[in-house]
Amino acid sequence: MSNTNTMSIKEQNKSAASSLMKKNIRKFLRNKLAVFGLVVIVAITIACVAAAIMGIDYSTPNMTMMKKPPSSEFLFGTDTIGRDLLARVLFGGCYSIFIGVFCAVMSSVVGAVLGAIAGYFGGKVDMLLIRLSEIFQAFPQLVLVMMLVAILGERSMGNMLFVFIVTGWMTTFRMVRNEFMSLKGETYVKVCEAFGMSKINIMFKQILPNVLTPIIVSTTTNVAYFILQEASLSFIGLGVADSTPTWGNILNAAKSLQVVQNQWWIWVFPGAAISLFVLAINFLGDGLRDVLDAKQQ
Amino acid sequence: MLKFILKKLAMMIPMLLVISLLVFLGLRSTGIDPITFMVPPEVQSQSPEIVEQLREELGLNDPLIVQYVRWVGNICKGDLGLTNSGEKISGIIADRLPYTLELSAYAMLFSAVIGISIGIISAIRQNGIVDYIGRVLAVFGQAVPQFLVGILMIWIFAIKLGIFPAANRVSPDATNAFLDAFMHLFLPVTTLTIGMVAVLMRYARNTMLDVLNSDYIKTARSKGIPEWKVYMKHGFRNAMKPVLVILMFRIPALIAGSVVIESVFSYPGIGTTMTNAITNMDYNLVLVITLIIAAVMLVASFMVDVLNAVLDPRVRLGDE
Amino acid sequence: MKNKLVALLLAMTMIASVLAACGGDKPADGSTAESDTPVATEKVLKLALSTNDGSTSDDRVPTPWLNRNMATNLMWRSLLIADSSLTKTSPDLAEVAVSEDGLTYTITLKEGLKWSDGEALDAEDVLWSIDALMAATNKNAIYSAAFGKIVEKTAEGNVITLKLDSPYAAMLDILAQFAILPKHALENADPATIDAADFWKNPVTSGYYMMGELNVGNYFTLVPNPNYEGTPAKIEKVTVSYVSDFLTAAQSGSADYLYGNASDLVEGMSALGNYETINVDVLFYKYFIFNMKGVDGKENEAMQSLAVRQALIKAIDRASLAALYPSAQVINSGVPNSNEAYNGFEYKFDAEAAKNELAASGYDMGRTLRICYYNNDQTSIDLINAVVYYLEQTGIKVEATLSNDGTTDLFTTRDYDIGFKGKSAFSIEEWYTEYMSTDALFANIFGGDTAFDAAVAALSAAATPEAKAAALKDLQKLEQDNMYKVPVFTVGNCVFLSDKVAVPSGVEFCNPLYSCDLDFANWDLK
Repeated sequence: MSNTNTMSIKEQNKSAASSLMKKNIRKFLRNKLAVFGLVVIVAITIACVAAAIMGIDYSTPNMTMMKKPPSSEFLFGTDTIGRDLLARVLFGGCYSIFIGVFCAVMSSVVGAVLGAIAGYFGGKVDMLLIRLSEIFQAFPQLVLVMMLVAILGERSMGNMLFVFIVTGWMTTFRMVRNEFMSLKGETYVKVCEAFGMSKINIMFKQILPNVLTPIIVSTTTNVAYFILQEASLSFIGLGVADSTPTWGNILNAAKSLQVVQNQWWIWVFPGAAISLFVLAINFLGDGLRDVLDAKQQ
Repeated sequence: MLKFILKKLAMMIPMLLVISLLVFLGLRSTGIDPITFMVPPEVQSQSPEIVEQLREELGLNDPLIVQYVRWVGNICKGDLGLTNSGEKISGIIADRLPYTLELSAYAMLFSAVIGISIGIISAIRQNGIVDYIGRVLAVFGQAVPQFLVGILMIWIFAIKLGIFPAANRVSPDATNAFLDAFMHLFLPVTTLTIGMVAVLMRYARNTMLDVLNSDYIKTARSKGIPEWKVYMKHGFRNAMKPVLVILMFRIPALIAGSVVIESVFSYPGIGTTMTNAITNMDYNLVLVITLIIAAVMLVASFMVDVLNAVLDPRVRLGDE
Repeated sequence: MKNKLVALLLAMTMIASVLAACGGDKPADGSTAESDTPVATEKVLKLALSTNDGSTSDDRVPTPWLNRNMATNLMWRSLLIADSSLTKTSPDLAEVAVSEDGLTYTITLKEGLKWSDGEALDAEDVLWSIDALMAATNKNAIYSAAFGKIVEKTAEGNVITLKLDSPYAAMLDILAQFAILPKHALENADPATIDAADFWKNPVTSGYYMMGELNVGNYFTLVPNPNYEGTPAKIEKVTVSYVSDFLTAAQSGSADYLYGNASDLVEGMSALGNYETINVDVLFYKYFIFNMKGVDGKENEAMQSLAVRQALIKAIDRASLAALYPSAQVINSGVPNSNEAYNGFEYKFDAEAAKNELAASGYDMGRTLRICYYNNDQTSIDLINAVVYYLEQTGIKVEATLSNDGTTDLFTTRDYDIGFKGKSAFSIEEWYTEYMSTDALFANIFGGDTAFDAAVAALSAAATPEAKAAALKDLQKLEQDNMYKVPVFTVGNCVFLSDKVAVPSGVEFCNPLYSCDLDFANWDLK
């Protein structure tokens, strides 16, 4: 009897969850901009990854084909040393999207873990972590990144990822910590504790799922943020080494006004790639916020 | 209230000390020897005793913590130290900081004015033309890299149309200082404003919408108060508070933006100085500039706290 | 309280919007004001200094002891003045006589010379300048290489005697470049960092002009020097703007005279209708250097094998790299291929052979090869990216670092395998003196190797063209056998003049990073 009862509750939960899911998907699909964003992101990512897998040639300089405008042979034209710009933009996409996604996810993970620890344990640990985040927040992120680049010295990809993660965790941290502060007093947490569930289990399996929504939304928008950040750093000469074709490094050619004026394709295509991708991410982020934000439901 | 402010102010000093210590240790741990920039290479290889003597004179052989205490002590006395090439850092800061403050202050002012007005108008006239333009602007302002906007500004307005100068802050042939300042500041300020305005606009629009949908506005309307008065007196006033706070929160973005924009417009501010100092490995200078930036940021967050406390007494009470 | 705050805010907002509205009208005002300015008929020559090539910062006048440029040429004179070939000199501040053995230089200063502040310019200034240069960190090695030969210097009245330990063929040419600086204004500055002294914010000068005003980060102006004893220049004022990009400066009309050889600049400038492009024949080498060994004996192990270095160079298609510059000529030694003394040797590009040879040479293929370069213009970055690509084709990992302080990174920090640099030389000799075991800079990466010393001395001493050619042949053999430096190409330079400037006929421009007689007194503005 009791067995069937719990079964049915579980099923009810399941069907409720799936209907909520359906409702959310429907809601998401109604948001045309968000759908557009998702489509663009998926399309660009697939194109970039496909290009990388096919191993198209993005690096062979060809001095006889310098600065050629778009043609049937080179759809996006060639750059200042005759490399195929389409290949470069696609390959650059792999790097830039990877930087954006990896750093956004990792900084959210770091922020969430630290936030969970601070919020759940409170007291001195909390105090220490809060102070730490305040110190990091005492700098504009770009300045912090510049300093870390200075300290690390080398302009490698690994350093860039490290720097972005180290400087990007604070907002998630604050958000998660505050949620944990208020949730840890809830009855269900007390019950779990009474059952002797391990702390890690409670923190990450019981409480964390409740704050997942805002984390997902902020992670999404952070992807765009890191991509733009990488481009800015490349521009002031502190980004990844020039030989790595990130979108920022490709766009660097626009530093030369001669290129801006006479070889529009060299900056328009990478510029459009960055802007379109960031735009799509922002649309998607807004859409997700609308769908997932409980307060608006 | 006073107690609250004093308490917040007192918090800033240990924060600054910790930050400066971390930055100091971080930069010193890079193992980059300032001596290499101060002594000719032939002297370094041929007479290491001169190098050693200089090292001793500069106190580079002392433990790091002693060096740090001495550095902080000097700063308290107003001596910011020397760059690698032997220039007084205080002089550099005095030359550059005003330019950056000028640039950021205008960008802040214009982005606030434009962002808030468009935000409010688009809240009042939802889906109207201003709302539409505002939304498109916001979307592109956030998506196009700021430096690209700057470069295109130079191309169009400085080179094609020849209206504004492409670089620097003062022209050698300026006849009217005010006009000259306006001409030089216009493009960088506009570029920074475009980047800043999007967030403010969105925020102002949302808070204004919240306020307009609240009960007391409905009450005010039902009393027959003219529409514009409802907006100005009740709507605007209440929507301003959170917008003001968000304005302070934008200061970091503003500083980061000016670092990039100064580089685009060859603007002789603290941002270009910082970028150059990093590539030149001029770490004394980097230290001082980061400290200044950290201080500005702390003051900004202090102002957020105070504003919050002024606008919402509960914060103050809760804190005590 | 609340009400007041809001009122204040409202008031501020309104003022701001009024300001903004006024602001909107300003561009119109601006253009009318601009058309008004020609009322002042002052003749102003506009110059520009690049803050982007590491040669100057934007808060002072750059030292003339590193590179010379138009602005500092107008401010400081040398003992002699060169013609456009830079190798024929005539008296300027002084007359110089050389003894027959080439070891004694007798310098007779003109009478009554004065600095711009009215102090006398005398022999003390000359002697002090030589000493101060030797102690300075930031300087052009051509001076220290030459003055390193001086063993004794004395002054009596306005006659200075310099005694050398061995003849130095280019000494007169060097003296024609070396700017004499005022001892009285500089002697209290720290000699090592003399180029950063406060002096450079308001310097005392000896040339046509002296400092008008310095606006940090923006420009400085030059006004006629009342104590200049020659014919004063017709141009009444010179403004020198600090810019980050010459082409932008030209396009926005803030420079009348510019120079450079990057293809972007040359193409961009020739597209502008109002500038004349003047090709200047200069000996400007672009070359690779291998980081071999410090004077302290520390070797860079990976580069010790000649086979490795040969394979690396074989992997680089230098002819393609030369296509990046409008006027580059590939060379294979310090002697240009067109010169009669060229020995015919050629570094050939062969990607396949390079790959095999490198694999066979014992080079650790897992190691990252490090390239260091310091020119940050787009053409140089493009070139290095291409080099990285070529080297990567051999299967090794390559990393290129853009240095902001080339001299320090190449010769002091030395954390690289292959360096890429440029050298603007007077003559082929100068290329070879870099191999001397006594060269202040290169000894740090070639380990003070004495292999070249005798041959370089023979070249300096060569009196006849035949002897010179023979010495050059020996040196080419030596350098190709040792492979410490591998030249890529020589590249010409261009001077760009706006059509507002009227240069007297017969003036030939020299290498813009040096000083020569341009008859500036007769320059005029239209």
